[in-house]
Amino acid sequence: MKKPAAMIAMGVLSGLVAAGCSGGEETGQDSSSGDTVTLDVIWFSDGNEGEVFKEITEDYKSENPNVEFNIIETPYDDIYNRIRTRVSGGDAPDLARISNPGAVSDALLRLDGEFGNKEEFYNQLKPSARPWAEVNGEFVAVPTDLTAHGLYYNKEYFEQAGVEVPDSTEDIWNWSEFADAIEKVKENSDARMGLAYDMSPSRYSTLIYQNGGRIFSEDGQSLKINESESVEALEYFNELHEREIIPQSIWLGGENPNSLFRSGQAAAHLSGNWNLQNYSDNADFEWGVTYMPQKAQRSSVAGGKQMVTFKDSEHKEEAVKFMKYFISKEQNKKYVSESLFISPRSDIENIEYAAETEAMNIFNNELSVTPEATAEDWSNFEYMPDVEQKITENVQRTLDGAMTPQEAMDSIVESSDVGSE
Amino acid sequence: MKSEKPWIPYAFLLPNALIFGIFVGLPAVYGIVYSFTEWNGISSATFIGLENFKTILTDSEFWTMLFRTLIYVIAVVPLTVVCALGLAWLLTRGLKGSNVFRAIFFLPVMISFIVAGLIWNWILQTDTGLINYILSLVDIEPVGWLSNPVFANISVILVTVWNRVGFFMLIFIAGLLNISPTLYEAAEIDGAGTWKKFRNITIPMLRPITLLVIILCFIEFFKTFALVVSLTGGGPINATRYYVQYTYDTAFGMGEFGLGSALSLILFVIMGIVTLIQWKVSNGGRV
Repeated sequence: MKKPAAMIAMGVLSGLVAAGCSGGEETGQDSSSGDTVTLDVIWFSDGNEGEVFKEITEDYKSENPNVEFNIIETPYDDIYNRIRTRVSGGDAPDLARISNPGAVSDALLRLDGEFGNKEEFYNQLKPSARPWAEVNGEFVAVPTDLTAHGLYYNKEYFEQAGVEVPDSTEDIWNWSEFADAIEKVKENSDARMGLAYDMSPSRYSTLIYQNGGRIFSEDGQSLKINESESVEALEYFNELHEREIIPQSIWLGGENPNSLFRSGQAAAHLSGNWNLQNYSDNADFEWGVTYMPQKAQRSSVAGGKQMVTFKDSEHKEEAVKFMKYFISKEQNKKYVSESLFISPRSDIENIEYAAETEAMNIFNNELSVTPEATAEDWSNFEYMPDVEQKITENVQRTLDGAMTPQEAMDSIVESSDVGSE
Repeated sequence: MKSEKPWIPYAFLLPNALIFGIFVGLPAVYGIVYSFTEWNGISSATFIGLENFKTILTDSEFWTMLFRTLIYVIAVVPLTVVCALGLAWLLTRGLKGSNVFRAIFFLPVMISFIVAGLIWNWILQTDTGLINYILSLVDIEPVGWLSNPVFANISVILVTVWNRVGFFMLIFIAGLLNISPTLYEAAEIDGAGTWKKFRNITIPMLRPITLLVIILCFIEFFKTFALVVSLTGGGPINATRYYVQYTYDTAFGMGEFGLGSALSLILFVIMGIVTLIQWKVSNGGRV
């Protein structure tokens, strides 16, 4: 009696294993086997843009009843791993929302022939959006929204301290006035700390550009980050930490700056427009967005998100057709206005945002005065992944007192292989 | 006595062997193959011989990271073993409430590494953490538990011990309960005190278990990843960036899957050598 029982148990186990090893359920019908085409979309969201995207896909479906969308929500940190896994496993998605086409450029479909005349398409884009469309001179990504860095502040704390923020581009703080203002707010209000500054090399680089510097040379083949403008930027950043205007716990301790501002502990937060939705929904105090300070010039940093399709996607044709629809003037306007984003299109202006229009106008203004060098530097897909890691490490070493700003910037240049290939 | 159907034991092993083969064996073989290639995870891998190993072994950052990992392991393994043995010994003394304490000490083991790391990240934050808040109540300046490289390492070591000591405590408890009481009775008759019994009976009898715990600790802590990443993110200034995070960043952060595979292979070799040395030194864990 025992043996049959053992055999049954073994059979069940084997069955379970076999089930575990079998492929998953098909997510959609193959276009070749029927009329319906299901586009697999790898998507990540910072705010409500996922909801807006779904609405746009619904509109698209009503015009194209043979198309379905399988939106695969993915945490941002896992986007490229998921794409790599699917591509190398022979199951490339049809579309993906990304922020760095260089990370997966080998897998991307070249769009030169797909969008008609490339230059014609580029002419529809703002100058700061164009570098994000290309990797090594090849058109591989469609910019869908732009991001800009900006300054959030807690209105109550600034009022308590009697500090007024610039309300026009005429009275923008210089670096010194900015540091004094935040320090005064910290000392004369209920704020526990002054400025929460994102631990991000991109956010940090805002200071480099404001001081007239840049990270790479114009051709992207050498580093300029150890020149005086960048060194001064780090000296200033270090001073903000030494005066305890920025708490050390963010850049050295990994404390979450969003939480510090949202919980009312920090008087201000240097971040970007992607946090608007978050603060709009979750911050239970009055806050605003004001202009960032300037030194040699005003500057934010132009970043953005793109939509891509893949060489090995099953439904390339339908994917490209949808990308054209998604970046069309009408759909992009809907997308950016409801998601509180900046449009990459040069022909969309004076947007009526669903909320926070005043704040979005400031972000738009920050981007409009931002040098193209920012987008050129940050879309240097060949070298930036390595350099941005070195920026973080060497800025941290300076804040920890292990290096002078000049040594830290020299160290980036000496340890980098930019231009060696 | 011979079984009538000698294949039955193998049939029982088959499901596990399949799972192991598919999810461990096969990826391991691929890992070895990829360690001799240049591969970005997307395009075809290019065979480059030993180039990845040469790159790794001539990179000063690799040696710094390896040294850092060794320091961490050398600090955390003895601390875990001593704490686990001490707790196990106390909890097998027949004290009142032993079972409750056993459960309490085991609780952290049931918390995932990520959650444990995040909880301690909140507790240890310089400006908003619970510990510095308590210190501030008695006018003590905030301590950079996670922002000072030395304190960050101490924090990681203590949190690791807190998180894992319960598991190794259970192994020691099993070992202690297996020691025959007659040995202790005989020692008592000869006039041995608590310390002498512990030194001359408990420690020698636990030698195989201790070796097992040391090897398990060494392997586990050398591979530490999730707990540290969620606690410190490897910072500040890479002060707590150990071997597996370095490998992960190389492969998944930089898209250098060939280098990442080579790093994994080197880790495998290091652990194999250390385990062999430990085995030889302890004479196979014989009592």
